[in-house]
Amino acid sequence: MPGQRRHTYWVYLVPGLALLTLVVLVPLVWNVYLTFTSYRGIRPPEFVGLDNWVELAGDTVFWTSFRNSVAMVVAMVVVPTGLGLVLAAMLFDLVGKKFGGRVASFLRATYYLPQILPGVIAAIVIGWILRPQNGALNTVLGAVGLDALQANWLGDPRTALPSIMVVLVWVQIGYPVVIFMAALQRVDPELYEAAELDGAGWFQRFRAITVSIIRPEIFVVVLTCAIAALKVFGPVYALTGGGPGTSTIVPAYYAYSEFFQSQQVGYGATIATALTVVIAVLAVAFVLVQARLERAEEQGR
Amino acid sequence: MRNSRLQIGTTVLVVGALALAACGGGGDDAAAGGEGDTLRLWHFESDTSAMGIAWEEAIATFEEETGATVEFEERSFEQIRTTASQVLNSDEAPDILEYNKGNATAGLLASQGLLSPLDDAVEEYGWDSQLAPALQTTARYDESGIMGSGSWYGVPNYGEFVEFYYNEDMFAEYGVEVPTSTEELEVAMQTFADAGVTPLAEAASEYPLGQLWYQLALSKADREWVDSYQLYADDVDFTGEQISYATETVKAWSDAGYISSDATGLAAEDAGVAFIDGEYPMFYSGSWWHNRFTTEIEGFEFGTFLYPGAEMSPGSAGNMWVIPVEARNPELAAQFIDITMRPEIQALIGNNGGVPVAADPADIEDEKSQELIENFNTLNERDGLAFYPDWPTATFYDDLNAGLQELLNGTLTPAEVNEQLGQQYADGVADITG
Repeated sequence: MPGQRRHTYWVYLVPGLALLTLVVLVPLVWNVYLTFTSYRGIRPPEFVGLDNWVELAGDTVFWTSFRNSVAMVVAMVVVPTGLGLVLAAMLFDLVGKKFGGRVASFLRATYYLPQILPGVIAAIVIGWILRPQNGALNTVLGAVGLDALQANWLGDPRTALPSIMVVLVWVQIGYPVVIFMAALQRVDPELYEAAELDGAGWFQRFRAITVSIIRPEIFVVVLTCAIAALKVFGPVYALTGGGPGTSTIVPAYYAYSEFFQSQQVGYGATIATALTVVIAVLAVAFVLVQARLERAEEQGR
Repeated sequence: MRNSRLQIGTTVLVVGALALAACGGGGDDAAAGGEGDTLRLWHFESDTSAMGIAWEEAIATFEEETGATVEFEERSFEQIRTTASQVLNSDEAPDILEYNKGNATAGLLASQGLLSPLDDAVEEYGWDSQLAPALQTTARYDESGIMGSGSWYGVPNYGEFVEFYYNEDMFAEYGVEVPTSTEELEVAMQTFADAGVTPLAEAASEYPLGQLWYQLALSKADREWVDSYQLYADDVDFTGEQISYATETVKAWSDAGYISSDATGLAAEDAGVAFIDGEYPMFYSGSWWHNRFTTEIEGFEFGTFLYPGAEMSPGSAGNMWVIPVEARNPELAAQFIDITMRPEIQALIGNNGGVPVAADPADIEDEKSQELIENFNTLNERDGLAFYPDWPTATFYDDLNAGLQELLNGTLTPAEVNEQLGQQYADGVADITG
């Protein structure tokens, strides 16, 4: 019977829902509750109303951390997605055709390599490379006569954030390249051939065919990378600890330091909750925009 | 931390704590079987460190004398630091563990009721007569978890302090004598700077520069000022003579080339290794480097001296033994502590590069260790251990590093750094004292 079948269907969701409740919902609700408390992680939380939120609103370090998050979005979303699109299209459309699939696959794997390295280990090695004294980068710059470009990369507020951004671009670039190249498998090669015969150049084919067809994947990449950028922690923890000063602090690191260094768990939870809200709003906005674009596209057909 | 990681971390902690609470009653059959004569002990010293060697001997002595078994679990410093409050709050707590001293650590746990007061044991064993007054400060905490008064919550049995390490060969090469005053120190540093050598190995992304900053303040301070700064006995004026002198001098020394502005991108390890490699003639840091310098420096002789012209220096008792409230065998734990205070165990610390708390230099065979312990005893005799700059608040370590980085980078003036630090200090103290 149809009604019974629907009933049975729900049974299969129970394990997933139970896990979701235990691993996500309970900690989330607990985390939100802690934002209204003064809690040092040992004795029971003490209710303090909106104190933490009021403090957060006037906390310059918190706002600095969110400004730095914008830089992280540039480094982990804007640049890798743009570059990834161009690289994927070139690997698929040019390199793959001229040098064969193996060369394209090798290059794709090369771009993806930083993604499979443990992040903190990569960050430690990069920290050695960027060291002001005896660091590989400064040594190389000195060896080729570019002494003027040598810098205290992670110790100077003018270069610390850009240095971390470059590292993040390097880490992140492989992800969109792999996704976009997989997506391009869906594109009928005849479309490219037809466009080529009609006299369309590479860039015109890229814009009209590549970008247009793989738009859903672009949305997925942008959304997942944006979330990763907002909650970035590892490189900041391992490379600069948020410094010098607060020039590279990000919300996730600030929450961590309040949680585990200051043991101000209530305030740390407030930062984490604020971050969660931003990420949730962003995700919902993305999904809505994507749905609207898809509807518009379907209606246009 | 990524938010999801934070949530997962919280969940793991909550679930872990629940699991521990759920299975704690009958979970440890081995301990339950022989609870009366098992001492469960945690510490974080490596096997080859002075304390690791001494604790191993103390464990052997303890087992021999009491007939009890020691169940030793090696934990990392970070493990104990980040999970102590959860574990000590459960019945999985060990009987005794080595724990970090200070308001934000042992003080916090004591104020939250997780550590046993040790006043009776101190009286019974007479540990108070073995520890100099400054060493007792970090062992006692009041109801708010502020050190210096109240009940005993821990027993330290080694010490640590900050001093100058210098490269004797470089001093000889540039004709520099060991300075005996701040003026002579500045002349010495200028001699090196004139020769194109940066005199001080420094790091500002971690503690070394913060300790130098505090030492500069101490050179203008007395015990009353230290008590105000560390124990909140009175307000601390961050525009006053001590801190103004410290911040302005760090800036002046940086401008004069005594401290490289690269220090903002360097960690303590970088500075220490650069000293080991003979790149700098001087390194101002803790006694915990001493054994490493002894074993790793090749190609030159190193010596040590206390900061010239100052009565006090950063330093304190080392980390200490604490007994959790949930310990099953607190009496055995106290017996173990007493064994670690014996002269033969103390001498083991001293002869392996550590700083015992009540050592007679005559018991120490190694010449360099003698110098180290003599410096410590000199400080102790003049009541010169002034603790560490970051102790007053939970966040001051990061605050101070950040402020000094901005000072060296020139993004903040000394006055701005002092104002910022003063505000952060006041906020942190308010958090602790309510």
